[in-house]
Amino acid sequence: MTAAGVHQARPGAESAPAGQPGRAALRLLGMFLVSRRVPAALAVLAGLGALMWAALHWHWNIAGGPAAQQVIPLAIETGAAAVIAVASYGPFGEPERATGRWLPWLRLASALILTTAAVGALAAGATGGYLLGGTPALVRDVGGMAGLGLLSAVALGGPFGWTGPMAYWLITESALAEGWTTPWIWPGRPPDDTGAAICAGLFFAAGLAAFTVRGARTSVRD
Amino acid sequence: MTATAAAPAQPRTPRAASAVPLAGARLLWVELRHNAMPFILPLIAALLWFDSYRPSMTQPPVWAWRTFWNMGQGHTIIDFGPFVAGVAAWMGSREGRRAITDLITAAARPRWITQLATWAATAIWAVGAYLVFAGVMFGVYVAQGILGAPPWWWVAVGAVAVAAFSAAGFAVGAFYPSRFAAPLAAFGSVVVLMMSSQTGFRDTSGWALILPTNSNGNYQSPSGIFYPYLPDLPIARMMLLAGITLAAVGLLGLPSRAGSLRLRWTAAVVTLAGVVMAGTAIGLATTARLGPAGIVIPALHDAANDREIPATPVCSHTAGTPVCLNPVYRPYLADVTAALHPALAQMAGLPGAPARVTQTAGSYNSTEGAYDEAMTISGHPPVLGVPLGTFLLPGTSGFTSAPVRFADFASQLQALAVHAFVGAGAGPGTMAQQAVQAALLQGAGMPFAAQPKVLGQAGVAPPPPGAPAPTGAGAAGPGHDVGPASRSVYAAAHRLAALPAAARRAWLTAHLAAVQSGQLTLAQLP
Repeated sequence: MTAAGVHQARPGAESAPAGQPGRAALRLLGMFLVSRRVPAALAVLAGLGALMWAALHWHWNIAGGPAAQQVIPLAIETGAAAVIAVASYGPFGEPERATGRWLPWLRLASALILTTAAVGALAAGATGGYLLGGTPALVRDVGGMAGLGLLSAVALGGPFGWTGPMAYWLITESALAEGWTTPWIWPGRPPDDTGAAICAGLFFAAGLAAFTVRGARTSVRD
Repeated sequence: MTATAAAPAQPRTPRAASAVPLAGARLLWVELRHNAMPFILPLIAALLWFDSYRPSMTQPPVWAWRTFWNMGQGHTIIDFGPFVAGVAAWMGSREGRRAITDLITAAARPRWITQLATWAATAIWAVGAYLVFAGVMFGVYVAQGILGAPPWWWVAVGAVAVAAFSAAGFAVGAFYPSRFAAPLAAFGSVVVLMMSSQTGFRDTSGWALILPTNSNGNYQSPSGIFYPYLPDLPIARMMLLAGITLAAVGLLGLPSRAGSLRLRWTAAVVTLAGVVMAGTAIGLATTARLGPAGIVIPALHDAANDREIPATPVCSHTAGTPVCLNPVYRPYLADVTAALHPALAQMAGLPGAPARVTQTAGSYNSTEGAYDEAMTISGHPPVLGVPLGTFLLPGTSGFTSAPVRFADFASQLQALAVHAFVGAGAGPGTMAQQAVQAALLQGAGMPFAAQPKVLGQAGVAPPPPGAPAPTGAGAAGPGHDVGPASRSVYAAAHRLAALPAAARRAWLTAHLAAVQSGQLTLAQLP
């Protein structure tokens, strides 16, 4: 048996969309997103948006100080960031890295799509009632935590990317209970706070950059 | 050649029988070595340090206070639970994610057994880490000379809770084998713990006491110092959590591919046993009531646990009066003695003056944390009972943003000692009692202007003008001139304080009994 003729496409195979690079790019992006279970992630994000709507509409809250007041919206935002982080994990590992020339751009696109979808879903959910800080704080908080999730995915692996936002949620609740006001605990600051926006933005940018360049770690223990 | 039906069944040889547990142990060992839980333990350790250990170090070195946050309110469980559930879900979803469920089903061992081995390895890592981390934390406390008794029952509750989170998370992963199973299990655990905390803070009785983050009525200042930690509630909580664990583990064995019919029946029995156990625990919690030493569940209660822990008090003297505290409070003896000195000096020699100051256990109340109880003077000779758990002791405290100053601590102690001395009870007292109290406190070095704030902090301030007169325990009898502190009260106090010391003392000696009984009116003061 020889490898002769393998350069020829099998009969009936879909031909490369020569002359239609935009369509090919979209198809590639679509396949990449499916491989990352992005459709399922979008469904989960929609569910979290609905949960946010229900929590605000029916005034689910916990009596207490700043930590208690933010605990439910913050937990939902954490869940959204965790979903973004877990969707970073690819099933193909090294072969994909070795052959995927467009991989960094595809990673960037998937992270941006999911973060935008998360913000959109939760902002839509926030119309159910009063959200402390409003949409600007929501964008900042979700962005920062999504960045943290992507960093966790790069460091620990996609399957464990959720641990970063979850740990940040726990630290934030503890810090808010103690009255901390550092901008690194950005959910505790007003929506127009520059320091908090910078810190959250730094995390988002770092997470996005690291994930775009390196991708989620694949050698995680399973 | 065929295996005929007539072929006799071969009994398992002794060697084969011994190989079964050995093979099980090997399977468990393989799962322990390939488990994902150790991967996440450094993160949990860091969170435990930040959320459980670090805040506890702001408390005085007394077990009940140091561990109030991390054990009493279950923060060690909050630190572990979501992460353990998430990783367990990842382990539970392994076969489904790898699409090898059919392969495993056709293997030598039933699928339920292999799943149990995977879960057991996950739980061993998680519970083992919990015990090690709690042990290290307690070891640091002991090295710092912590006083009282450690809350072992709560450590056990935490360990069973970690096992329950691992089982529940594993079941989520097994039934929903997806990459999203882990974050969903973790997020679900966060929601459950949030609800537990919310209900725990709000509900002081009934089924909510079963929640492992609920400290209402069961983890207070006398715990481990005056009374042993009552095991009633921890036992019920462990029953609930063990029931959840059994039910979750049993559920794994119910699907048809889990194993033979006999094995699935066993799984059904395990599931049912778990549900019954959890239900029984909740039922027991609904019978809970507040006893002198904490929450009592009659069916689980041992009356021997209601007895005070015997202790030889440590004493010092001031103004001719011995001041005795529980030995756990030895580090605060000098502060308490110095704080009470000005008040005791004012009372010395007067009728009903305390011949001794003794720290009292105080009683549990149905809310969280510290109880609020006034000082009392009783007995012959009179003894001033001081429930120190009411106060924020001098120094650092997790309940305040800045260290508590000795002057603040002392002024509250003085105010409550004099308040008890004038017979005002738990409320503000009659106007005559308020006036005599104000004069005595002024004599003890507390200016009139500072007194309303101190009395307010101590919880015995008169109501503001226009507010309804106090009722219940804080109210005086009918016909007494109970009312808001007014100019007339402080005018009378000024007059009494302005008397020469000998004349004031003579007036107090003659009229103090009438003041204490509430018979004297403001107009009868000099």
